[in-house]
Amino acid sequence: MKSALRHWKGRLVLLLAVIGPGFITANVDNDAGGIFTYSQAGAQFGYSLLWTMIPITIALIVVQEMASRLGAVTGKGLSDLIREEFGFRLTFIMMVTLVVTNFGNVVAEFAGIASSLELFGLSKYIVVPAAAFVVWLLVVRGTYDSIEKIFLTASAFYVTYIIAGFLAHPDWKAAAFATVTRPEAAGIRNYGYIYMVIGLVGTTIAPWMQFYLQASIVEKGITARQYAASRWDVIIGCIFTDVVAWFIIVACAATLYANGHHDIGSGADAAQALRPLAGEYAYLLFAAGLFNASLFAASILPISTAYAVCEGLGFESGLDKKFREAPVFYWLYTVLIVLGAAVLLVPRLPLVYVSVLSQVANGVVLPLVLVFMLLLTNDRELMGRYTNSRRFNIIAWTTVVVMVVLTLLMMVTHR
Amino acid sequence: MSLVALSELLGAPVRGATGAVLGRVREVAIAPQDHPTRIAYLIVKTADGERVVPSAVLRSCGATVRTADDGSSWETYTPSDGVLLLKRDLLDQQIIDVHGRKVVRVNDVEIDSVPVNSHVALSVVAVDVGARGAIRRLTKGIVPAFTLRTLLGRIPPRVIPWAYVDLLETDPARRVKLKIVYEGLSKLHPADIASIVEDLPHAEREAVFETLDEEVAAEALEEIDPKVQVSIVESLDSDRAADIVEEMDPDAAADLLGGLTEGRSGEILKEMQPEERQEVTQLLEFGEHTAAGRMTTEYVSVGDYGRVDDAIEALRRFEGSREAVATVYLYNVAYKVVGAVPLVKIAVSPPSTFLSELAEAPVTCTADTPDDDVAALFDKYNLVTLAVLDEHDRLAGIITADDVITMLRHRR
Repeated sequence: MKSALRHWKGRLVLLLAVIGPGFITANVDNDAGGIFTYSQAGAQFGYSLLWTMIPITIALIVVQEMASRLGAVTGKGLSDLIREEFGFRLTFIMMVTLVVTNFGNVVAEFAGIASSLELFGLSKYIVVPAAAFVVWLLVVRGTYDSIEKIFLTASAFYVTYIIAGFLAHPDWKAAAFATVTRPEAAGIRNYGYIYMVIGLVGTTIAPWMQFYLQASIVEKGITARQYAASRWDVIIGCIFTDVVAWFIIVACAATLYANGHHDIGSGADAAQALRPLAGEYAYLLFAAGLFNASLFAASILPISTAYAVCEGLGFESGLDKKFREAPVFYWLYTVLIVLGAAVLLVPRLPLVYVSVLSQVANGVVLPLVLVFMLLLTNDRELMGRYTNSRRFNIIAWTTVVVMVVLTLLMMVTHR
Repeated sequence: MSLVALSELLGAPVRGATGAVLGRVREVAIAPQDHPTRIAYLIVKTADGERVVPSAVLRSCGATVRTADDGSSWETYTPSDGVLLLKRDLLDQQIIDVHGRKVVRVNDVEIDSVPVNSHVALSVVAVDVGARGAIRRLTKGIVPAFTLRTLLGRIPPRVIPWAYVDLLETDPARRVKLKIVYEGLSKLHPADIASIVEDLPHAEREAVFETLDEEVAAEALEEIDPKVQVSIVESLDSDRAADIVEEMDPDAAADLLGGLTEGRSGEILKEMQPEERQEVTQLLEFGEHTAAGRMTTEYVSVGDYGRVDDAIEALRRFEGSREAVATVYLYNVAYKVVGAVPLVKIAVSPPSTFLSELAEAPVTCTADTPDDDVAALFDKYNLVTLAVLDEHDRLAGIITADDVITMLRHRR
């Protein structure tokens, strides 16, 4: 009896251990940058960008699966692998790029915190420094396990977006049709359109997420043998995240776009626009969801960046180390938070513009990370029998090519 | 003697006796079975493929490599797994810094070249893990070599002497050929080995535990985080796992096996010696969060009629852990526990003193006492060891203070 209980407990622990990383990562994906980008996409283009959601989901699943497989098979982080296989110089370039784009993302998270709490009448000059301090303390003082439980609970709040979407009473038929229909060809000559597509890809398949996911898989000690369950965790997480994204676009299209409100000035704008049209609840839910998502991502992003960079470049890292044992790690972490929050204190900063821009930067940098991941997942010496299937390679390489082409198009159409 | 960095050597032009460029350095090889630090040969990429340039023909080594011949006698390179290739196996890889007791990443490798007769002898002296190697790698080919050398000269080096480096190699066959035995690592304190191992990727953890001496492996394993413990033992074959588990404290072994799946712990138990197996199986029966689950069955006890020299003799024969000898327990004719003698008293008393004169009333608890009450007893009586009694008041095992500290820390 006792041993049966122990066995059952062991199973449950195994399941929980495996269900975490993919699901958490996918959920952090709907962070402030994501919410702003999806909102802006819906407000500016109505339902007409919904076609991107299916290809993005497929690409997201493929990319996240690659990251978690790399982690499970090698037991090493993505930046470790880049360093070991591609040498110091390429790693350095990748890490500098990662720090710059991730910094943009940190700014976006604080922008999310600022604009969601502005809805409740709190000034950003008080809220942002306080949030920065809370985030810093949460990670430095808390242990990893208890933080993760907070995050997991927080994930449940993402359902609020789906509810908000329902309360906005969208035109379901038009939305469904737009999701499966082919994009209009005119889009490739429209700078704003391309910019937004890159932003949508960049926010959904963010480079930093790949580093974070792989690190979480390694941290959890998931090995190639336990990997099958982990794959499902990733797939379910990806689908959930994109369903939420779809609902945000639809909600904004049904309210803001339909009423001729095509440009979102602040996050509060997006939420406030929902209030008269969809009632008090949608507005409150939107604000609470945005705050929660921003805080969640703001806690993960700087620390995951610090880990990735220190591991790739060979600096001491880890929260179990003292400040003087791992100075680069703690400084990088602290500077990302402090500077990221400081940017928000600039008066009249266009919050949404900055957030969407950071997601476009994600999209521009994505091919670089993907190429590294593709080369690694196809390395037989490294992956053994777990190398990429041909179908995965086609999807991932297509993503790389499409993103490079879109970036070039964006530069050409820019006036 | 002059030092050359591996990153300078890689890609350096190789000039023959006439001064003509014959190729460029692609790899630097050590053959550990011949000499552990000596460079055996360079692999040079020439117009017609990769060639092996033995160090005996090298005249100088630096930004340019000069050889004494014209390259006609160099053999074609064929890969061999008994060779350590510095670029592939060392540069950018993780190693164990035995002196600093941590895992570090190699930024560059320092090679010493000493003129011997007509050629130069090359050997690895240290690995660079600091900013100097990093900046050299980053700026190579961008900043002129001379400027770079002056610049780098100002950066204080952070190097680990080769003698303090333990390589990590996951392939067992190659590990043997490269003579990797984690010599430095195995001499560290078990707790340090544990924290190093926790920092390693899983394949490297397995590699370390397959190679370490069983006793050292067992002590280190006890100190490792339980989650990591389980994953290590899962990855070892049951034979090897059993050898290590046998060397562990029975209570630690029982905790470990309790964390494994039933099938797996069964396999390991089957491979163990009968005596150790019985001890561990007994402990496995008890709940993990009770006195019995925490206790070890290895303790020192003598009859209550005994004298100090009987106790000393018992201590001599005792093979259990150091922590367990802090108290010698006395039992009467019915094998009931009647006294506890602190080790200090035994150490300072004449050999003929009766132990019963030194004995104190033993602090005891029952097998099903919960963790909290055990901790409370240690606190109240300032205990070093606590006796756990079975239903007949006989000694079932003892709990040592270090187990209580571990228990309290894990609970946070």
